[in-house]
Amino acid sequence: MKKPVDPVKIGQFESMRQPLDLQAAIKESNRCLLCFDAPCSTGCPAGTDPAKFIRQIKFYNYKGAARTIRNNNILGSVCAHICPVEKLCEKQCSVKALEDPINIGGLQRFASEYGKTFALEPLEKSKKNQGKIAIIGGGPAGMSCASALAKLDYEIVIFEKEEHAGGVPKWNIPEFRLPGEALAYDVKNLLDQGVEIRHKSAVESKDAITNLLKDGYDAVFISSGLSVPFKLGLLDGFTNAVDYIAFLRKVKFDRGSINLNGKNVAIIGGGSVAIDSALSANAAGASKVYLISLEHLDELPADQEEINLARLMNIIFKAGSQITGVNAHEKIISGLTGIETDWIEPGKFIPQNARQISGTEFKINVDLVVQAIGTKPGNEVLNFSKALKTKGKGIVEVDDNFDTGIPGVFAGGDVVNGGATVVQAVGEGKKAAQSIDNFIKNRRNSL
Amino acid sequence: MKTRADLSINFCGIKFENPFCLSSSPVSNHAEMCARAFDAGWGGIVYKTLGLEKSFRVVMPSPRLSVLNYMDKRFVGLQNAEQITDRPIKDNIRDIAWLKKNYPNKVLISSIMGYTDEDWIELAKMSEDAGADMLELNFSCPQMAHPSAGHRTGQDFHAVATFTEVVKKATKLPVMAKMTPNITDMLPVALAAKDGGADAISAINTIKAITDIDINSFTPLPNIHGHSSATGFSGPSVKPVALRFVSDLYNSKPLQLPISGVGGIETWIDALQFLLLGATNLQVTTGILRYGYRIVEDMIEGLSDYMIERNIKSLDEIIGKAAQKLTDPSNFETRYQVVSVIDEEKCIGCGQCFISCHDGANQAIKFDPAKRKATVDEERCVGCLLCKHVCPVWDCVSYKEVDTQLVKHAAIF
Repeated sequence: MKKPVDPVKIGQFESMRQPLDLQAAIKESNRCLLCFDAPCSTGCPAGTDPAKFIRQIKFYNYKGAARTIRNNNILGSVCAHICPVEKLCEKQCSVKALEDPINIGGLQRFASEYGKTFALEPLEKSKKNQGKIAIIGGGPAGMSCASALAKLDYEIVIFEKEEHAGGVPKWNIPEFRLPGEALAYDVKNLLDQGVEIRHKSAVESKDAITNLLKDGYDAVFISSGLSVPFKLGLLDGFTNAVDYIAFLRKVKFDRGSINLNGKNVAIIGGGSVAIDSALSANAAGASKVYLISLEHLDELPADQEEINLARLMNIIFKAGSQITGVNAHEKIISGLTGIETDWIEPGKFIPQNARQISGTEFKINVDLVVQAIGTKPGNEVLNFSKALKTKGKGIVEVDDNFDTGIPGVFAGGDVVNGGATVVQAVGEGKKAAQSIDNFIKNRRNSL
Repeated sequence: MKTRADLSINFCGIKFENPFCLSSSPVSNHAEMCARAFDAGWGGIVYKTLGLEKSFRVVMPSPRLSVLNYMDKRFVGLQNAEQITDRPIKDNIRDIAWLKKNYPNKVLISSIMGYTDEDWIELAKMSEDAGADMLELNFSCPQMAHPSAGHRTGQDFHAVATFTEVVKKATKLPVMAKMTPNITDMLPVALAAKDGGADAISAINTIKAITDIDINSFTPLPNIHGHSSATGFSGPSVKPVALRFVSDLYNSKPLQLPISGVGGIETWIDALQFLLLGATNLQVTTGILRYGYRIVEDMIEGLSDYMIERNIKSLDEIIGKAAQKLTDPSNFETRYQVVSVIDEEKCIGCGQCFISCHDGANQAIKFDPAKRKATVDEERCVGCLLCKHVCPVWDCVSYKEVDTQLVKHAAIF
C-alpha cells in the first residue's frame, strides 16, 4: 500500500513523500508476516532492523519503533525518506509471495516522525572515557561511526569542512526528496550523544593524520566522501556547463540566484543524481529538460521509482546516446550535438564500450548543461595518499574491517566504496566503529 | 434450472419465507426502517422491544456504543448501552399495525418487556390486537436502567416461568422467550420458560462486557459523562459463545423447543452454522448496524446456492445436523492422531509456523534458513495444527493420520 509520490510537491520543493499516518501505519504493519528470519532486516546494510520496528508498530509500541530506528541507524530519518527500499529491505519481503511488499519506507517515516513528535528521550551521552577519535568528514559514514563510538563511550570530534554536518544528504539531495528537518533531527540525535562537530574544519594537509594521532587521538576515521565531480573534456571551459554537485547545491540553497524559466537544460548522466538534477531543473522552471545517458532506459543506474518520476515530470530521455559536440558562442553553450549509441560488448556499461550508430545524429538547443557522471575523492585524500593506499579513481583501499593498514587509521563510506547509498555508508560507519573499538582495546590490552 | 432454493421455514406454526429476521434492536426501531428491511428481503422482524412508558420512562444514555477492534480490523465486536424502545407505546403499536397491513406475508414478532404481570399482559394484548404474528419476551437486556427488568429477570428461573405463563394466558400468539447468556447454564432458564408455556427459545442476547478503556482518562468506554458499565456485547466475536448456547438448547432432551439463533451472524456461512447446530430461525442486528439491511441478499443467495449444490430441498433436512457431533471431551477417540503436512511449493518461508510451534507447541517444525522452507518433524509433531492456523497461506498446511502404534509424542507432551 503505497501512495504515489505527489509531483506537485516536487514543483514546490516540498517533501514528495509523507509519513504514513497512524491509521495507515497500523494497517500496513498488520500486513507484515513477522517472519522468523526477517529477510527485510537482513536486507538492510545499516542494520536498522525493519522487522523489529514493524513488529513494534503492530503491537502499538510506536516509541519503541522510533527508538529501534534511531538507535540502530543514526541517519534513520534520512534513510526513511531516501532509502532505495525496493532494492533492499522491501526486495526481500516475504509478503511479495502473496501481495505487494510491506511499505517499509513509509513505516520508517511514520515511526521516525512519531519519535520526533512525542519527544523520544535523547540518546545517552558518551562518558568519553574510552579514548578519543577523530572523524574526517561529517557525512553519513562519519556520523554513523561517531554515533556507534559514542555509544561505546569514546570522545568524538568530527572535522567537517562545511558549516553543517550531513554531507551528500545535506547539500546534494533535493528538498522534495529529503526534507531538511529529517537530517536536522538525525544531527540533533548525534549531538545528544556528546559528539563534537567542528564546522569549517577541513583536514587536508599532508601531515594532518599523523598530527591528529600525535595530538592525542587514538584513531582516525576518514569519511571525507567524494567531492570532485568528473567532467567531460568537451564541455571544459564553458560558463554554462556545470557539475551536479554545484547545481544541486545551488538549487537547494540559493534558488533565487538561478532563473531557469523557459530555459532548456541538458543533464548528462543516468544515475540517481542525474535524475535529481533533472527533477530539480524541472521544478526550478525549465521548459525542457533532457537526460542524456549512455545507458539505455532499462540500463539506467537510477532507481525505477526515480525514472518513473522523471517520466511523469516530462523529462526527455535521450537514453543510449552521447554528446559529440557543442555549439557555443564566447564560452556560452547554445546547443549540443549527439548521437545514439549501443554497446560493443553487451552488459559492459563504460564509455569505451559505446559504439555510435550512424544516421542517428541529433541536435538540441540548451541554455544549461549539468554533468552528473560521477565524482572522485577530493584533495584531502590526495594529500593523505602518500601513506594511504588508493585505487581506481582515488578511493581509499581498506580491508574487511575498514582498516587502511596504517595503525589507527580507518576509512569508510563513499571515499572507500566509490559512491553508494546513505544506508550503505551508515553500515560501513558502524562496522568501522567496531573495528576501531577492537583496535583500541587490543592495543590497550597489549600494553 | 432452479436458481433459488426454498428457504422457507415453519417456526412455531408460522411460515417465514426465509429464516432471516431483524432482532429486536435499533435496526427494527420503527415502521419505515422495518419496511425497508422487508423490501431488502428479510423474512421477518423482531420489533424493537416495547415497554410501557407509564411504568418506566426510558431515556437512552449517550454515547452508547463502543467497539472491539483487533489490530487493524475494526468492529469485531460491539458493546451497547441501548435500552428498549424510547418511543411512546401508541406510536409503536400503530407502526406494527401498519407493517402487518402493508407486508401481510412477512412475519412480525413483537418483542415485549414488562415490569409487572399487568404490564406483560397489556403489552401482549396490544401486540396481538395490532396484528403481530408472535411474541418474544425480553428476559435478557443486560443494561436496563430499571432495577428488576431485562437479564435480571432472565437469571431468575421463577420470574421467567411466571411471566411466560402470564403472557401465554393473555394471548393466543406463539411465545418465544429470549435468553441471556450472562449465566453459567442456560438450560434451567429455558426449561423454566417451557414450564411457563413458551413455544420457542431465542438465544443469545448480548453478553455483559467491557470492550475498551480510555488509558488517558482511566474511563471504560463508552464514556457516559465520566462513567461506564459492563453492557451488552455482540457481533462476530460473540458467535462462538452463541453457537455453544444454541447447541446446548438443541441437544437438551427435556427442552425440545424450536430455537431462534442470534449472535454474530453476518454471512450465509454464519447463518448455516447456526442452523446446523439447531436453530430454525435466525436473527441479526450487529451485522446490519455495520453493513446495512442489504447483507441479507448475500445470505439468501449463498444459502440457496449451498442447498441447490447439495440437493437440499428444505432447511429442515439440515437443522441440527452438526449438533449431534458434539460430545463430551471424555468421549474423544484419542487413538486417532494426526501430524501436520506443509506443502513445500506453497510455503513462502516466513517461518511463522516455526515460531508458533517452537514457543507455543512441541518444537516440531524445522526451518531451513538457506531454502527458507519449513518442514515438519513427524516424530515430534503432536498434530495440534497450530502451524496451520498461523500460516499466512491459507491452504499451505494440511494434516494426515498417523499410525498411533508408532506415535511416541503423547509421552513428550
